[in-house]
Amino acid sequence: MERIFEFLFKYPPLFFEQGDFTFGAPTSVRLWLIIAGLLGAGTVASYTIARGKSTVTERSVMAGLRVMLLAVIIVCLLQPSLILSTVVPQQNFVGILIDDSQSMLLTDENGISRSSFVNDAFTSDESELVRQLSDRFALRFFRFSDVAGRIDSPAELTYEGTHTNLARALDVAREELSGVPLSGLVMITDGADNDNQPLAESLVSLQAAGVPVFTVGVGEETIAPDIELGRIEMPRAVLEGSSLTVDAVITQMGFGSSTVPLIVEDELRIIAEETVELGPDREPVVARIYFELEGVGPRRVTFRIPPQPGERVNRNNTRSVQVEVRGEREKVLYFEGEPRFEVKFMRRAVQEDENIQLVVLQRTAESKFLRLDVDDGNELEFGFPTSREEMYRYRALILGSVEASFFTHDQLQIIADFVSERGGGLLFLGGHGAFAEGGWQGTPVEEVMPVVLGPPTDDPQGFFAEVKVTPTQAGLAHPSVLLGAEQDQVRERWNSLPTVTTVNPISQVRPGATALLSGSGDQLALEQIVLAFQRYGRGKSIALTIQDSWLWQMHADVPLEDQSHEIFWQQMIRWLVDGVPEAVEAVTDQEQVEPGENVRLVTNVSDSSYIEVNNATVTARITSPTGMVEELLVDWTVQRDGEYSVEFRPLEEGEYEVEVTAERNGEILGSDKTYLYTASRDDEYFSASRHTQTLRRIADETGGLFYTPEDVSSLPEDIRVTGAGVTLVEELDLWDMPFLFILLLTLMGAEWGFRRIRGLI
Amino acid sequence: MQRRPRARVRRKRTEERSETFPDIEISQQSRRSRGPEHTNPMSRSLLHLPVLALVLFTALNTGCAPDSVDEPTYVAPPGADFMSQQAPPRVSRPSFVDPRGPRMNPNEIPGRYPFYWTRAIYSGWGRRGWGQSWATDYPKGDQQFLVVLKRLVRLNAYDWDNAIRLDDPTLRRFPIIYAVEVGGMDMTNPEVEGLRNYLDAGGFLIVDDFWGQREWDVFEYNIRRVYPDRPIVDITLDHPIYSAYYDIEEVKQVPAIGRAMYPAECYGCVPHVKGMYDEVGRLMVIINFNTDLGDAWEWAEDPGYPLEYSTYAYEMGANMIVYAMSH
Repeated sequence: MERIFEFLFKYPPLFFEQGDFTFGAPTSVRLWLIIAGLLGAGTVASYTIARGKSTVTERSVMAGLRVMLLAVIIVCLLQPSLILSTVVPQQNFVGILIDDSQSMLLTDENGISRSSFVNDAFTSDESELVRQLSDRFALRFFRFSDVAGRIDSPAELTYEGTHTNLARALDVAREELSGVPLSGLVMITDGADNDNQPLAESLVSLQAAGVPVFTVGVGEETIAPDIELGRIEMPRAVLEGSSLTVDAVITQMGFGSSTVPLIVEDELRIIAEETVELGPDREPVVARIYFELEGVGPRRVTFRIPPQPGERVNRNNTRSVQVEVRGEREKVLYFEGEPRFEVKFMRRAVQEDENIQLVVLQRTAESKFLRLDVDDGNELEFGFPTSREEMYRYRALILGSVEASFFTHDQLQIIADFVSERGGGLLFLGGHGAFAEGGWQGTPVEEVMPVVLGPPTDDPQGFFAEVKVTPTQAGLAHPSVLLGAEQDQVRERWNSLPTVTTVNPISQVRPGATALLSGSGDQLALEQIVLAFQRYGRGKSIALTIQDSWLWQMHADVPLEDQSHEIFWQQMIRWLVDGVPEAVEAVTDQEQVEPGENVRLVTNVSDSSYIEVNNATVTARITSPTGMVEELLVDWTVQRDGEYSVEFRPLEEGEYEVEVTAERNGEILGSDKTYLYTASRDDEYFSASRHTQTLRRIADETGGLFYTPEDVSSLPEDIRVTGAGVTLVEELDLWDMPFLFILLLTLMGAEWGFRRIRGLI
Repeated sequence: MQRRPRARVRRKRTEERSETFPDIEISQQSRRSRGPEHTNPMSRSLLHLPVLALVLFTALNTGCAPDSVDEPTYVAPPGADFMSQQAPPRVSRPSFVDPRGPRMNPNEIPGRYPFYWTRAIYSGWGRRGWGQSWATDYPKGDQQFLVVLKRLVRLNAYDWDNAIRLDDPTLRRFPIIYAVEVGGMDMTNPEVEGLRNYLDAGGFLIVDDFWGQREWDVFEYNIRRVYPDRPIVDITLDHPIYSAYYDIEEVKQVPAIGRAMYPAECYGCVPHVKGMYDEVGRLMVIINFNTDLGDAWEWAEDPGYPLEYSTYAYEMGANMIVYAMSH
């Protein structure tokens, strides 16, 4: 199509896009228009005046054709031309950026690798493209992957880069060539950027500098057949013995709706396997898999789909995730307002869990408390905590059947702050003293609750209803209510449990909260919300509106060997403490890097009241896999309160241990440990198809053009017309465009033909 | 072992109790302490005599008759107005209103209250029904125990007695049960299985009021049918059950009513608190042997029953319940 256009209009479309249209006639256009008007009027008049056997319509058609003919001739006489700015040959530079990452070695369906285009087009002495570019510009070559730099010749490319950073490549080339007249940058790549650095900033800089980027996309847009194990959603730290629920995103192309196994390995030992049904082409499916990690310390968990017959890329079937299994005991405070069997059975359920310390404070009479599992005689000596320091020692709080009026206003505020500021987990249990029946409306804690409190019942006997509990749709996918069953058996498992009771009618969750369990029963007018949760500030709150979950253990319908009650409470409390922040928390911006790659260590520091500290002395002790120790001072970032950061570069391959300690005025505020794994990565094999959209965007936003290897031959001429640098203005005649002559002949022929048809000749 | 005479005494005591109900005494006391408006009219008329004499004397000496001989001249003392305003227009003897909540409907699912004081019904020797050993002190002992227990412990408990058969599946809704006079126990196989399942599921059994080696042998025979190999051990005073609510420093022998002078019902018996633990070391049976806590709970209001023993019995009862509800 472009060739036809060029034949008709003498120049390629790009010239018309870039150039300005003008007329080269010596006198003014207005004069020419007057002349044209007069000639046109004369023509129309001659046809109008003429008499014969022709009708008015025939004369009108012929007059019109003749006027158009005259108009075309007038346009030609006006000498139309195109004013175009073109670069001066050999006075400008062009930077050629070539992708040097591993994905360039992938072969297309025809068996030709992406790098072969580079070899043919740039390293061969007979390359027409290089010759044409060299004729017009001074060429400067760059290679890029995770880093970018100048090379003398494309022959230096090795294609060993383990990931690609397009933005960094553009920045490096622009800065390197900032002192010379630059006509543009040519970027040859598949466009698969896996460094997640945003492009916008680099493109804005190029726009400001007026440097167009011409992108050449190599590779196929679709690699088929192929299965790719995409994202793995997994926490970076878990409590020992926790049941993990991990989501794996799997995409396929060309395998149809078949099933594949997803295998989870811990140190080469298979710990879980799940059969996954693949979705339609390019449509990702989320596979959920459950497993437990044994032993304390950093672990490397590998998720793997065995290569399928005929699969094009196998290295995108495996992902590894770094996770730390924490062994410490998480301290949870359970405050119960009266002797209740929930205390006994909850303690029994979690007593064998070595990672949970359930501290019970039970009010047995006015101002008389029973304390269980406290660390020492001083703990909770005066009842419920009255200060933030005392309360914030716990990672979660369970409030049983205790009325709001028991607490002072300060204590209520501390409870609310415990969730929002400290980030603790708060669980509300049902009971006579809970929710609306306990007078919690209008307190600072009410809005922490994930459920809406109605008016308390006016029945003097109080509300009482039996509840048959079933999981909601959201609950079916939530680990806290799975009861250790396979996902497709969760509903049956809940159906097998006996009914429980509630004295708190609750039928609505707060906006943003999620209901996981609901209940129905004869005495219930509306469906009861049994279990709901919401995020609140830094923490989360959960409401369990029944009052006797112990029936799931004691009821005669429950077999003695049934572990539903134990699993429910273990999972519930582990969920409650999951993700609760410490006063000092350290994390690296990436969980896995390559040796020599920079890593940013970020540490958040708070005091015992969880108020951010900006004047702490924070040190990081980094131990390499071979035992080399490096100590770094971590500086306050200034941008955010309590945030400290430092960059370091691990050089060895293996597992690094990073221990951070924060102190203020000689007082230790806290310490934390995190782990980093250094190894070469397979990122280049994920999302390795050609990213045309990305490359088009780079070209469009900088004023360049996008090419494929098939149409890249016009690149030298296009840069000449569209490029920046040292330019000169050319005036290109358009009056002799073949199109105008064809139009003239067509109009003349049309009039002649019309006369012949009408018998006017 | 004084069941039959005790039944007669119980009826008598119940009548006495209603006559000497403390609230009524207070009301009578209040009635006696009303304000001056309620003083005897006769005493007022006697007061008028010297006043009338004075008026007559004045009239005779001045020649002026008084406006009214009925004009009161009584001056009320400070505060009398306030007291008279507080007095009700009519004072009647208040009627007795049972403060306890309603009884459970037989068809109602239990659970409205967090706690039901539940008595175990087991097969045993004796007459059928309440004449059997399981029903000793029933139901007064249970009801009275709850009345006092709720004053001592912040316990939201069902106010009435609640007796359940050991082979009834509903038993599993009550994680604490109380078995009394187990010296007369003779459980059926379904009861043995029901008790075993109950305890295995997490139930807690309180045993009380049996005396001497013969009754011990009977109980041990029965509990060995439930757990043949599980040891029965002494619960010494360092066990947390003795400090779960009250601090108890001594195990006392609690006598039955009428035996305050000679508490032991068998020659040379000493009181024991024994227990049985589950496989992970959780106490699940507590055995009060050679003692009768139940009688102390039942007769605590009897002026003849020693305060020392009723106090200990209630303390022990509160401790057992608070402990069993939290461990």
